[in-house]
Amino acid sequence: MKDGALKGLKVLEFGEFISAPYCGKLLADLGAEVIKLEKPGLGDSARSWGPFPDNIPHLEKSGLFLFLNTNKLGITLDVHLKTGKDVFYRLVEWADVLIESYPPSEIEKLGLDYANLSRLNPSLVMTSISPFGQTGPYRDYRGSDLISSHMSGEAFGNPAEGVDNLERYSPLKGPMHAADFMTGLTAAVSTMPEVLFLQTNGIGRHIDISAQEALASVSRQELAFCMCEGLCPTRELGRKRRGGILYPCKDGFVCLWIGPHWDKMVEMMEKPDWTQLEMFQTPMARAEHVEEFDRLVSLWTMEYTSEEIDKSAIVHGVPCSPVRSVKYVVADNQLAYRDYFVEIDHPVAGVQKYPGAPYKLSATPWQIRRPAPLLGEHNTEVYCQMLGCSPADLVQMRQAEVI
Amino acid sequence: MQNLPLNGIRIIDFGQMWAGPHLTQWLACMGAEVIKIETMLRLDFMRMVGIPPGIERGNVNAGTAFMSLNFGKKSVTLNMNQPKARELVKQLIQKSDVVTENFGGPVLDRWGLSYDELRKIKPDIIVYAGSGYGRSGPHRERPAYAEIVEAFDGSTYLNGYPGSNPFTVGVSPWTDATQAMHGAFAVTAAIYHRNNTGEGQYIDAAMIEGSINFLGEMVMAYNMNGVTGERMGNRDRVMAPHGCYRCQGDDEWVAIAVSSEDEWQAFCKAIGSPEWTRREEFSTRIGRWNNQDELDALITEWTQERHQYEIMELLQKAGVAAGASLNVKDLVDDPQLKARKFFVNMQHPVGGELTLPGLPWRPADDTTPSYSPAPLLGEYNYSVFGELLGFTREEVDRLTTEEVIK
Repeated sequence: MKDGALKGLKVLEFGEFISAPYCGKLLADLGAEVIKLEKPGLGDSARSWGPFPDNIPHLEKSGLFLFLNTNKLGITLDVHLKTGKDVFYRLVEWADVLIESYPPSEIEKLGLDYANLSRLNPSLVMTSISPFGQTGPYRDYRGSDLISSHMSGEAFGNPAEGVDNLERYSPLKGPMHAADFMTGLTAAVSTMPEVLFLQTNGIGRHIDISAQEALASVSRQELAFCMCEGLCPTRELGRKRRGGILYPCKDGFVCLWIGPHWDKMVEMMEKPDWTQLEMFQTPMARAEHVEEFDRLVSLWTMEYTSEEIDKSAIVHGVPCSPVRSVKYVVADNQLAYRDYFVEIDHPVAGVQKYPGAPYKLSATPWQIRRPAPLLGEHNTEVYCQMLGCSPADLVQMRQAEVI
Repeated sequence: MQNLPLNGIRIIDFGQMWAGPHLTQWLACMGAEVIKIETMLRLDFMRMVGIPPGIERGNVNAGTAFMSLNFGKKSVTLNMNQPKARELVKQLIQKSDVVTENFGGPVLDRWGLSYDELRKIKPDIIVYAGSGYGRSGPHRERPAYAEIVEAFDGSTYLNGYPGSNPFTVGVSPWTDATQAMHGAFAVTAAIYHRNNTGEGQYIDAAMIEGSINFLGEMVMAYNMNGVTGERMGNRDRVMAPHGCYRCQGDDEWVAIAVSSEDEWQAFCKAIGSPEWTRREEFSTRIGRWNNQDELDALITEWTQERHQYEIMELLQKAGVAAGASLNVKDLVDDPQLKARKFFVNMQHPVGGELTLPGLPWRPADDTTPSYSPAPLLGEYNYSVFGELLGFTREEVDRLTTEEVIK
């Protein structure tokens, strides 16, 4: 097995559900040594989220947890207790990087804030993730995937098509936990350069990630149009669109990007008469008659299944995809060719198929070294072998419910 | 000069459109020197997107989409059809750490700049190739755009209201952003490895493969139980109330998420404990979840009498997660984004005084990202070829006349 790109990097992850764990996963899957700290008892809340095989809840079988925590060591620790806090401080001395996602005021109250921790480890890179950031009037406000989707403008512009009934259809958050994942990814991208700075200069820094900003940044193009062009999307019209339209077909929908591919599209539709009309000859003219245009394209798409259209689009070079459910995603040929999905054997959950590498690195491949940890699985390894606690200390900590 | 974390890293960037430029924008703001290789023969389309009023259409320096994606870079123009231009690029790459590109196919290979060629002239070079479907497999040259990828990866299928058709994901372009950021992470990880071992590498990043990671829960649920999920609007699989509620003003909305029994109690108290909050069917989480339609209608009676920020502040002070649903134009005035100076002002020679969104990379000390305006087309021809390759102005002018620099 080749070494990962981040071999030797020591990371302490102190956060739960999605954002901090996704950040930790990106580091761990490229070879960083990530110790994940969970509260004794129920552990990370993702353990209780599921999905569970046959829908039977089990702390060691949650699909979300198993996916987000590959390649990590897992320990339990109650930082509210004095002994627990002392152990936490020792872990901070060990770590190069600390990722945490607790409310800013709670972290301060616990004495686990950067000002305090950097005295123990002056070169610590600490990444704090919170709904609104460590400063500002909303720093202590609560958040979630739903709240950051709405507070960032992401939801107000969704769906892109706009809606025909403003009262019935509210602004819409993105699918699944897209906002939480984006926050975790933002934290990872923001942490890595600080790791490089630490590597070359020996200096660590505190990074302050706001979920609201992480999501608002993604709308940067719309924000630019709004602030520089005075163009603001309305919910009726959706955002300004140049392509990527959904068209109905026999068995669902296809997404087609016609834009500059008009000639190929005409070939693909076998040149129906309407495509020769003056009103559809230039991009500008097509945009002007977009409703009529889309209606005529739909007449064609509705004659075929999404698979038939997809095949034809490949032949003609028209950007296209059927609107696919996960069933087709998991069975996809391109993904299979690239060995995207990986099977991971977990001592309790068994063998499951997981999403795999988000990028292929030739010298230091993304790889699975171990499945997600059981709750407290590596307590002995970390506390005794790494921090030098005795077996008796461990028993005592367990009895005091510190771990 | 500030001590930015990527000072000293030089990147040769062939990125265009959205995902490629946003990737290197992150690295430029963090201190890397990003040299954007462009050509007047085939413009980065974003240069003409979003032209402010009063500036002629087709001005290649006025696109605000481009300006929001290319902070802090240096633009040079090279006509890569000319062997001499390829030679110049090779000389630049010899002095660089990273090469990035997101062409629709193996364009660099055709120019004689494949990874294998490049490592001959710079053994520890890191080459990042971003594409829709990856650089191998049956779809390796298939054109992709964010909306196509979102249909492909399962996002669109799940994007919508309960019982509605699927809709296109609203933020544009969502998967370009996931691609850019996974890419920036992979490139910096590769630099870490190179710093440790002296070894460079090739990174093949497929938009679809990063974006499916965001839907990991969906993949696990299908593989475990064969379920494909459904469109849920703003609702949650467990929590209720969990939604977006109508407020007093014109198309004004607020999001509310109640996640525990304590929060439900706090919520009831905060809205003045109306009679209905004591009803039997709302007394448990499961009861509230099963009766969401009615619950949401009752909550709306309260929210529609009030403004979004008023509701947000009232509920947040009571310990309940709530947030105004903001349109892009509202973000500029949001007190939190304002206090944190999320928006940055910059003076652009063509666009004038601009206000654009910054990046969410926030060092908590006084380090500020390097926000300088996006470059004009070819703005750095003299300085890059002069400082890095030692050309005089006359030599650069001659290369321009010979249409090598174009």
